[in-house]
Parts: sequence; structure tokens; C-alpha cells
Amino acid sequence: MHIPDGYLSPATCAVAGAVMVPVIGVACAKTKEVVKDRHAPLLALGAAYSFLVMMFNVPIPGGTTAHAVGAVLIAVLLGPWAAVVCVSVALVIQALFFGDGGVLALGANTFNMALVMPFVGYGVYLLLTRNTSLTSRRRAIAAGLGGYVGLNVAALCAATELGLQPVLFHSANGTPLYAPYHLSTTIPAMALAHLTVAGFSEFVLTAGIVAYLQRANLPLLRINHSGIVDTDAELAPQSGRPALRWALIGIATMIVLSPLGLLAPGGAYGEDSPTDLNLHKYGLHAIPSGLQHYNGFWKHTLLGDYGFSSGRHANIGYVLSAIVGALAVGAVIFFFVGGVRLAMRRRPEAQADAA
Amino acid sequence: MTDGASTPGWLLAGAEDAPPLLCSGKRRRGGAIEKTVGGLARLIREALVSEEIAARRGLLQRLDARVKLIGMLGLLIATGLVRHIPVLLGLYALTLVLAAASRIGLGWFAKRVWFFIPLFSGVIVAPAMFSFITPGEVVLPLGHWFGHEVGLTRQGLTSAALIVCRVASSISLVLLLTLTTSWSRLLASLRTLFVPRLLVLVLGMAYRYLFVLLDSVTEMVTARRARTVAAKRSRRGERAIASFSGGALFGKAHALSEEVHQAMLARGFSGELRMSEWPRIRAIDVISVLTCLALAILVVGGDRALGL
Repeated sequence: MHIPDGYLSPATCAVAGAVMVPVIGVACAKTKEVVKDRHAPLLALGAAYSFLVMMFNVPIPGGTTAHAVGAVLIAVLLGPWAAVVCVSVALVIQALFFGDGGVLALGANTFNMALVMPFVGYGVYLLLTRNTSLTSRRRAIAAGLGGYVGLNVAALCAATELGLQPVLFHSANGTPLYAPYHLSTTIPAMALAHLTVAGFSEFVLTAGIVAYLQRANLPLLRINHSGIVDTDAELAPQSGRPALRWALIGIATMIVLSPLGLLAPGGAYGEDSPTDLNLHKYGLHAIPSGLQHYNGFWKHTLLGDYGFSSGRHANIGYVLSAIVGALAVGAVIFFFVGGVRLAMRRRPEAQADAA
Repeated sequence: MTDGASTPGWLLAGAEDAPPLLCSGKRRRGGAIEKTVGGLARLIREALVSEEIAARRGLLQRLDARVKLIGMLGLLIATGLVRHIPVLLGLYALTLVLAAASRIGLGWFAKRVWFFIPLFSGVIVAPAMFSFITPGEVVLPLGHWFGHEVGLTRQGLTSAALIVCRVASSISLVLLLTLTTSWSRLLASLRTLFVPRLLVLVLGMAYRYLFVLLDSVTEMVTARRARTVAAKRSRRGERAIASFSGGALFGKAHALSEEVHQAMLARGFSGELRMSEWPRIRAIDVISVLTCLALAILVVGGDRALGL
């Protein structure tokens, strides 16, 4: 994800730098609050750790490089602001001594890897670890998922910065002056590498190290987790099922907002009705017979085109469709999960083997 | 033990009739991680230990670190703004002249710069030369695709060359600074550019502890190899070991950090970062920084005069 000098226009670098200068200032001040002077060497080692992890990288045609960063692990251990400091330091050393990532591009690189990644990842981690103890298994997996999500959001930021260059900066004859790839190339290229290999290694590394520390070195985890009980047995019992409540609130919000879809102009790609097809564009003179035959094959829809057959009250039709659809999908999942559970209960010995 | 006389005969005798050893498994070559760690340790040592060049008596070594930092930044921004390949090549030639004047071996310097470029920028930029990424005037046709001519386009080739030249000039400029300046001076000059105290402190310590950490990693890898007797291994097991080692490394780092902090306190660390006194800015420093900045403006101006 290291963007070298020359890939980004100085204007982009200036914008990113202007964002990062105050952020670094705040990060240094905040880090001093959480991580006392006593842990300054630990910060240095965090930076060294991130440096080493980032050395294992592969170039991606169409993007930059793919590698794990370790930012979310540092955020979990020492807090997200400390992660900003650690990863920035690692990036500075790489830029100065290895030419890996540019000096002018430091603003953009630190924005992606030292700001976006630890904060997004740490947010995911916090969200998934509410009401869990320090040694809970969920905590390790949450840290891993945080790493995975954080890395991918950071890669998306890098891809966006690179992909905007040819649009914003090109010469009169269309020669791109900086990074040559458009968003349509950079985003898939970066996403493919980071959703699979790099994201996977970040997940394994982060979750594995947190799981190891849970077993072997709790004091290290306590630095950034003061006031969290050690084992699940000590947790105060929770009332209700907040997860279910939040899920229902989320679905209800989406149902209410569903008429927003009416505002979108045009049709979805590949979903046009045969009569709307631009036949000349494809060198056709008539609608292909198969398409003609199977179009409208199923005529027994309850709410055709997500509305009433009269075509009136489009908003109410949309909301009603959303409710009916959500209930139908919910019922299918309910019965499917119920069936799987029943099957699992009938084979307790198989379950014991798996465990 | 090359001296045969001092070696007992039974040790030198052939082992044909000796009972087979219990651990007679084949010695395996290390896995990807083990090999990489070794190579990485060497590479990092090479890249970071440049104090020897910084101590030579050359042109850039003579200049104040702050002057070099500002001059480098100015030229780096100019490199970023330049849009013509000949101008970029001129800038690259300038870095070579400066390297020669600073008694840096040119072959070695060019190798340092160009080693990574084909490996990384080359692979990344290569597809941009083709017409399906950068449309334009096809100069080297490679065939037809659905009735369209495909091949290398003028625009694509220019764009790729532009990026590679710019990356090479930029890396050369940065290397000139880091090779000819001692690390402590470089850190101190960052402080004068209003880089926060904590960041400079961590930067200085991270640089030191990178070696300690690398030694730890190398030792752990060696220790693991020493304990490995069977050839059988699983990916799952390797992943577990990698993350356990990482966790153990953090534990070690934590313990070390307590010790280091005690040592810092014992030597009178009060939370303030002190740098040794700066030498006075001399006339040559002022002239150099002005030359660099004037050159940067001249380069950008000349580039714009060539057209956009």
C-alpha cells in the first residue's frame, strides 16, 4: 500500500499532508496520556514490529503493493493514537532508508495506514467486544476482523487516491502525468489482493497474537484495557438481547428508507425490459426469440416492480414490498437454522468429536 | 579441528557400522519465512548502517543537516511537479553528480536506486503501457480485440516512463540525504522542522530497536529450527507458530521496555529530548540552500516553458 513519490501529484500530497500534520500533533499528545513515558520503548518496538510486518510485500499491477500492516494490533495493545505514532514512524523509516513509499507521499501513506486503518479496525474491535471479558475468545476474533476490515478500508483509500490521479492530472493528448490507472482499475486491483491474501495474513497475525497474549501475557493486554474483567465468569449478567434489538432497529430503518431507491435515475445494468433495449447498438434487428419467450415467464407476482398493480402510491408499495420481503427472508432463515439445530442436536456424539 | 593428530581415531573412523541415529530425518531447507528473515536482516543492516559514508569527506557531508533536509524537500517537490522526461533525466543526472561529489560509489548508488524500481514500480506500471488501460495512439500494435487495435500506446509508454523516471529521481534525492547525514543529525534536523518531540523520540528508539528485534526474530527462528526434528508440518501449525512467536516477541518487548525505561531514568531522563548543540550556519550552507531552492524553481519554470 506504500505509494512512492511520483505516483501522486504534489497537490494531492499537499492535501493529505495538511490533514495529517494536525492529526500527528494530536496523536502525540493523546499517546502521552494513554501510554506513559514508561512505555516509550514499547512504542518504538511497536513501530519496529509494524516495519517488519510491512517488509513482506508483493507488488500489484494496477495498484501499489499488498502486505499486512499490524496497525490494528498496535491499536488494540496500546490504543489507536499510539498506533498512529507507531505506524507513522515505521513509514518514515521506510521512506527515508528504503525508498519504500515516498517522502512527499508520506501524508497520503500515513493517512491510509496510520490513521484510517487503526481507527476503523479499532472501531470494529470495540463494536464486537462489548460486554466481553479480557480472555474471551470473541476478543481475539474481533481483533482479527478489525485488522481485516481496517486493512481493506485503508487499501480502498489508497486505491481512491491513485485512481483519481489520471482524472485530475493528464496532459493535452491524454497522457496521465502521475499514476496512470483509473478508479475502475485501482479499486478492483487493490481489493482483490487485500480481500484475500493480505487481509487473511493480517487477520491471522492479529487474532493469533491477541489469542496468545490472552493465554500467556495478560499484563500486556491490560495496558489499553483497564477496568475490563479477566474472565467471562466475572461479567455482570446482561438483560435482554441487545444484539437482536439492534439488528431489528437496523432492518426497520432500511425498510423505512427503501423508497429512496425511487430517486435513482436509470435502470440497473442488465435488468432492462426487452422493449427498452437499444437493438442497433448490438447489431440486432429484433428481440432474440429466447429472450422474448422467457420474458414475463413468471406472471404470478404479488407486488410486481415493488408496487401495486395500479402503479399508484409508489412509496407505500416500496415499504410494503420491503416488509413482505424481509419477513419472507426471515422466515426462510428461521426454518433453515431451526432445521440445522435440530439435526445437530440429534448427533451429540458427532458434535463432541468436532469439538 | 583440522589437525588429524589431535583427533581420536574412533571419531575419524567411518560410521558404516555405527548404529543409526535416532533422529535420522532429512535436514530440510527452511520455509519461506525462515529464509526471508535471514535475507531481511542482512538487507536492513545494509540499508541502515550508512554512518561510514556519512563520515567521508565529500560535498554533501560538509553541509548542515537542516540545509540538506530543506534543499532535498525543495528538489523533491520540483521533481513531483515536472512533467517532461528529459527534465526528469536531468534531475537524475544531477543526483549522480552530487553523489560523485560526495564520494559515493556511482555504481553502488545507482544499484541501490534501481534495484527496487523494476521489481515494484515496473510491475505496477507495466500494464499502463497497453491501449486498454491508457487509450491513445498505438505505436506498437499487438493484434486486434473485437475490431479494436490493441498494443502499446504513445500515451501509455510516456506515462510509464514518466513515473519510473520520477520515482528514480525522488529515491535518489532521498538517498543522498540519508547516506550523507548521520542518523542523530538527521533526527535533530527533523526536530527543527517542528516534528513533535514524541515522534522524534520514538523514531530514534525504533531505529535502535529494529536491530534488537531483528536479533530476537533471528534467534527465535534458529531456536525453532534447532528443535524441529520431523519433516512433517502443517500450514495451520506454521500459522499458529508465527502468531505465537509474534506474541512472544511483544512480551519480550514489553519486558525490555521496562528495563530500558529504568535505564533511561537512571541516566537522568526527564521527559525532555536533548540534542547536541548545532554548529553555526556557515556561508556555504546558506549558499547551498539558496542554490537548491533556486534550482527547484528554475526546473519547474523550465518544465512549464516546455509546455504542459
